Amino acid sequence: MSVLTIDPLRAASGIAAAGLEAQSTRLRIAAENVANARSTGNTPGADPYARKTVQFSAELDRALGASTVRIKSLGRDRAPFQTEYDPGNPAADASGQVKMPNVNTLLEMADMREAGRSYEANLQMIKQARSMVAMTIDLLRS
Amino acid sequence: MEPLFLFSLASRHAQWASVRQAAISGNIANANTPGFKAADVEPFTAVLDKTHLSMNLTSARHMDVANAGAPTTKVSKAEGWDVNHSGNTVSLEQEMLKADEVNRAFSLNTNVVRSFQRMMLASVKT
Repeated sequence: MSVLTIDPLRAASGIAAAGLEAQSTRLRIAAENVANARSTGNTPGADPYARKTVQFSAELDRALGASTVRIKSLGRDRAPFQTEYDPGNPAADASGQVKMPNVNTLLEMADMREAGRSYEANLQMIKQARSMVAMTIDLLRS
Repeated sequence: MEPLFLFSLASRHAQWASVRQAAISGNIANANTPGFKAADVEPFTAVLDKTHLSMNLTSARHMDVANAGAPTTKVSKAEGWDVNHSGNTVSLEQEMLKADEVNRAFSLNTNVVRSFQRMMLASVKT
């Protein structure tokens, strides 16, 4: 980020907006994980829902002339699945074991909290940039 | 001191504050990006000291030194308050503090400009 081609205050809002979008995607993925915390497979011995992960990366936005953030990739957690004894389940294998998703609800909750905190921080930046623009415009009416 | 000097100084300070706000915005947006290093803009006094007079182009054969007089605001890697496991050095608290500082400086700037303009208007009207 050397020379900003457009108004830096607009760039500040744009960057914070990119941050908002990234954090809300993260929040959505966490919600998906929690919702699918008990989603097993349909056929005997099938793999259940695998926890989704989000990866952020810094990116230079050429139109904005500044480095923003974007979702680099949505991955799958490769942690091993827990098994539960439940012979009546359609996903139970020959010995009655059912593979359960590798979602830790506590972890997802912590992740959601952190995403919410970062979302608020980005929102605060937009508010401040807007108030700075308002201060400049207010110079006109004195 | 001629009055126009203050206006140009104030406008450059506003420009500097805006650039700093954008840099802070970038840090906060990347608060959860693995390995991201927090950046900051150098202080205004440093920016002011570095600028020099630009040369006039009075002939077509004079070379145009690109942006010779333009304010240079560089983003430098700053020492953050904390580093997490992924090597990310953004501290939300620190960034909020910096953003507030910028906001206060900007507010002071616009208010000084306004009162100065009022002074000028008053002298013109008499």
